[in-house]
Amino acid sequence: MSAIEKFHDILANRHQYAMDWKERTGGKVVGGLCTYVPLEIVYAAGMLPVRVLGTHEVQDVTDRYLFPTVCPFCRDTLAQGLKGRYDYLDGLAMGRTCSHIQGTFDNWRNYISTTLVYYIWFPCHRESPRAVDCLVGEYTGFKEALEKLTGKPITDDGLDKAIELYNTNRRLMKQVYELRKNEDPPITGAEAMEMVVTSQLMDVVEHNKLLEELLEELPDRKLDRETGLRLMMIGSEMDDIEFVQMMEELGCTIVIDEHCSGSRFFWDEVVPGEDRLAAIASRYVHRWPCPAVSSNFSDRFDRVLKIAQDWNVQGALVYQQKFCDPHEFDIPLLQQMFKEHDIPTLVLEFDVTIPFGQFRTRIEAFLEMAELEVL
Amino acid sequence: MITAGIDMGAQFIKVVILDDGKVTARTIIPTGFEPLEAAKKALDNAMKEAGISRQDIKSIVATGAGRKSVDFADSSITEVTADARGTIHLNPSVRTIVDIGAEEARGISCDAQGKVLDFAKNDKCAAGSGAFVESMARALEIKVPEMIAISLKSTKEAPINATCAVFAESEVVSLIHSKIEKADIAHAVHDAIASRVSSMVRRIPVEKDVALIGGVANNAAIVDVMQKHLGTEIVVPENPQYVSALGAALSAAS
Amino acid sequence: MTTNMKYKTKPLDCWQWGKELRLEAYQEFLKGHEEGKLMVLGCAATPYGMLAGLGDFVFLAGEPYGASVAADPPFSIPCMETYEAKGYSRDMCGYMRNFLGSMFLDKYYFTGGSFPKFDFAWSVRHCPAGHPKWHQIVSEYQDIPMNYIDDETMLAVDGDPEHRIDYVAGQYLDTIEWMEKVTGRTYDDEKGIEAMRTYFRNESLWGEICLLNGAIPAPLDIKSMFALMPISMLRRHEKIATDFLTTLRDEMKDRIANEIAAVATERYRMCMLTPPPWSFLKVFRYLETFGVVFVGTYVYLINSGEVKFLLDEGEAVPATVPEERPGWPEMKNREDLCRTIARWRAEHPFQSHLDIRKKEYIIIYNHWHGNAYLLLMNRGCVPMTTSMYDFQRDMQAHGIPVAMFEGNFADCRDIDETGVLDRLEAFLEGQGIQKLPSL
Repeated sequence: MSAIEKFHDILANRHQYAMDWKERTGGKVVGGLCTYVPLEIVYAAGMLPVRVLGTHEVQDVTDRYLFPTVCPFCRDTLAQGLKGRYDYLDGLAMGRTCSHIQGTFDNWRNYISTTLVYYIWFPCHRESPRAVDCLVGEYTGFKEALEKLTGKPITDDGLDKAIELYNTNRRLMKQVYELRKNEDPPITGAEAMEMVVTSQLMDVVEHNKLLEELLEELPDRKLDRETGLRLMMIGSEMDDIEFVQMMEELGCTIVIDEHCSGSRFFWDEVVPGEDRLAAIASRYVHRWPCPAVSSNFSDRFDRVLKIAQDWNVQGALVYQQKFCDPHEFDIPLLQQMFKEHDIPTLVLEFDVTIPFGQFRTRIEAFLEMAELEVL
Repeated sequence: MITAGIDMGAQFIKVVILDDGKVTARTIIPTGFEPLEAAKKALDNAMKEAGISRQDIKSIVATGAGRKSVDFADSSITEVTADARGTIHLNPSVRTIVDIGAEEARGISCDAQGKVLDFAKNDKCAAGSGAFVESMARALEIKVPEMIAISLKSTKEAPINATCAVFAESEVVSLIHSKIEKADIAHAVHDAIASRVSSMVRRIPVEKDVALIGGVANNAAIVDVMQKHLGTEIVVPENPQYVSALGAALSAAS
Repeated sequence: MTTNMKYKTKPLDCWQWGKELRLEAYQEFLKGHEEGKLMVLGCAATPYGMLAGLGDFVFLAGEPYGASVAADPPFSIPCMETYEAKGYSRDMCGYMRNFLGSMFLDKYYFTGGSFPKFDFAWSVRHCPAGHPKWHQIVSEYQDIPMNYIDDETMLAVDGDPEHRIDYVAGQYLDTIEWMEKVTGRTYDDEKGIEAMRTYFRNESLWGEICLLNGAIPAPLDIKSMFALMPISMLRRHEKIATDFLTTLRDEMKDRIANEIAAVATERYRMCMLTPPPWSFLKVFRYLETFGVVFVGTYVYLINSGEVKFLLDEGEAVPATVPEERPGWPEMKNREDLCRTIARWRAEHPFQSHLDIRKKEYIIIYNHWHGNAYLLLMNRGCVPMTTSMYDFQRDMQAHGIPVAMFEGNFADCRDIDETGVLDRLEAFLEGQGIQKLPSL
């Protein structure tokens, strides 16, 4: 089985993977809402951090908990908890970001019995020179809570090892992303997405091993179809592989992305320092931001434009989870920026309840339009 | 004492005439563009059926969306109150009422006296109403009764995800194109409605017995899927579309 | 002669004065530049008294401005259409949409003239992602500097909160330096401290006024509260506001002593949590025909006022100002000022954690002698609405009848008025409350 197939397989059976992991390691599993939970600290505690994600199926269990204008992703994740699909979690943590996922967290805390439910009061004023110190204070509390849960201390050695492993993971994924700069990328956007999403679900040691296999396979790999238009995907949470597959079948390849199940999640490394928690805190404060915690357009847009140019994209698909206000604040000016750089954009409002057919026509029309601009 | 209840629904006007707690007439006519005229006509028809004249009626109470337009009524009550009164009169053991009408669905929790304890209504969503069944039947090019009949024979699950009736219609079209059996599509339509409505109803305490009333309660396929979604048996009173009108007539008598 | 009139009623003696003070606040704003004052954009929760350290200033809070626009559909609709034409979404903050639309149209609501250009924007990140993002857009279009304080709910979440207070106090200190830089002015600590003392005093007064409405009959109704609140919301740092609020408080005490009601037909008292749908204030008038009086809304008790909730005793009492609180230092210098504001914000009910807020809702309901809660499921504000079902369940568990309706508080196109009235009527019917016979 190729590494790509293995990612696909594990993603399809992610709950089984986590339960098996518990079984074979005797460790505990901690779920994370959003990507502001410090994976390094959880891993150093001997636990498996997994991101809590939805399944894109229609459900009717969250209506009595969340108001209809809470974003579909946050409803979907809560639904998984309510349906008992995350019953194997020993803990659930979240870093403060937006009010939608906050709704998921609050309801999880009140209505789902996970042993440890922990809120990291992430300092959202990232530009403040005080933010790192504050986050160290948060991590101190979080670390203690994890230690209490496992009954074992988290050591500096353990933190160093976790930092090194996750940095390696980020570096390897970046190497894969580098190959997507090729005129004909050896990996599709959907496959790359499976790689990143599994990195949010797997033991980092095992994921690193698969990444090394992948990097050996890719130089000889050729896609059995034309690359077509080189597109970028940018927006709010996105792990809908089927959607990306559908899109790429229409005659394009996603060569780069900017979202929290892609580049935004893994781009920045921890710069090791004597104070381990401060080193980790600095990474999460200064990382590529979610618009929910960024109040300065160039902070995010400059990075977006740079990768768009470095990966030579011919169009950008800007999508958002319906009702996701942090992104809604950014999108009009983001579109304007792309326009100034002659990169056509298509904005899609995403909702698990909207069938693909609705999107297909719009994407086809967009591809036709973008092709004209490229010619 | 003879009283009348008029339910000014979005699609139909229903009239019930009550003589000392006994229903002596029931009439139904389309609401149309002249609801007041239609209401008069429905009442006339009902009086004929009961063999009484206007002077015999002690009191008339209107309910339903257009209740305020009935200038000849003595008073009006909301459909929530009317639903509870009517249902408890017919089935005293009911504690939760689900009313699915042409344009609206609601869930009502009540006590043994028919006092409303809590209620929930859908907001601007046709996908949880009778109008949706009709437009889906049109998309399938069959009549509603046929749609109900084939739906009950469905063997496969087909997904309809949209919460919005407009999108749902295009999904049905996609299903038709992908050669899904009509019966399975019909079932999917009913399932989609039941899913919307029951998720709204769960915002209030769902206690037994649960009754389904309103015009859509005549749809056996909906009753079937609603039972699955709410995880409980559902009671459908006789003439479910007249329950609101009955509630109004009862209120006129008290 | 009518039996409906249970109580005596009369207009407030200080009503006219209040109206003038309110209008002045909005009108003075435009003269800011001419008079050499700093023009600052903020949000209602910005502790803007601090700005006094920079000299004279005028301050505009985005939310009450958005609410004023929203209450006037002929002005509001073009604003929202202009905003949408720029590519912004309809489901975002309703206040912001009215505000930004008015800015894009370059029309200032209170005068019809040009929209003001601010010297800088300074907000508080109290609603997750909301206000700094709003100001981010203003800052981009007006090309002005912006800054904000991140201090959302610091207490009662996991972990020791002390470092959060340090972080917040530090942000205030940094902001003062930043303000000096962007305005070229020198910050006078004394003046900043003085204005914040007034600010705290006025908050406490407004809280006390809201609490007085627990009397039966209620001396003030919600409509008057909405009308007078801009004084406490926009002029909280001014001595004249202290004078007015003191007068209003004394007048309320007088009305209570003489059983003078805001609504003579009062027989059913309802409470809210949120602002009302601004384009649909007539809902309150309509409900008065049932003898329903709205005695208060939690959010306005605490977003320009402050009260102290005694959770164990189940009581709400007027809040003391920080310097009178045991263990709080006297404000002598900038560090004291910044730390005091950080602590005061942390302990303010505005920042109460969900679980505590639930208890406060019950306490204030009892204090106001409510008969029911009316909950607005607000499509125009996510943070306000996210946990509403949870609140509803908790209230019902306490035996409180709850009426609910859905709609947008600041978009007249997004509220089904007939549907709402219908729903409220059904609710009242269930409570045995009928329309009063016509007078």
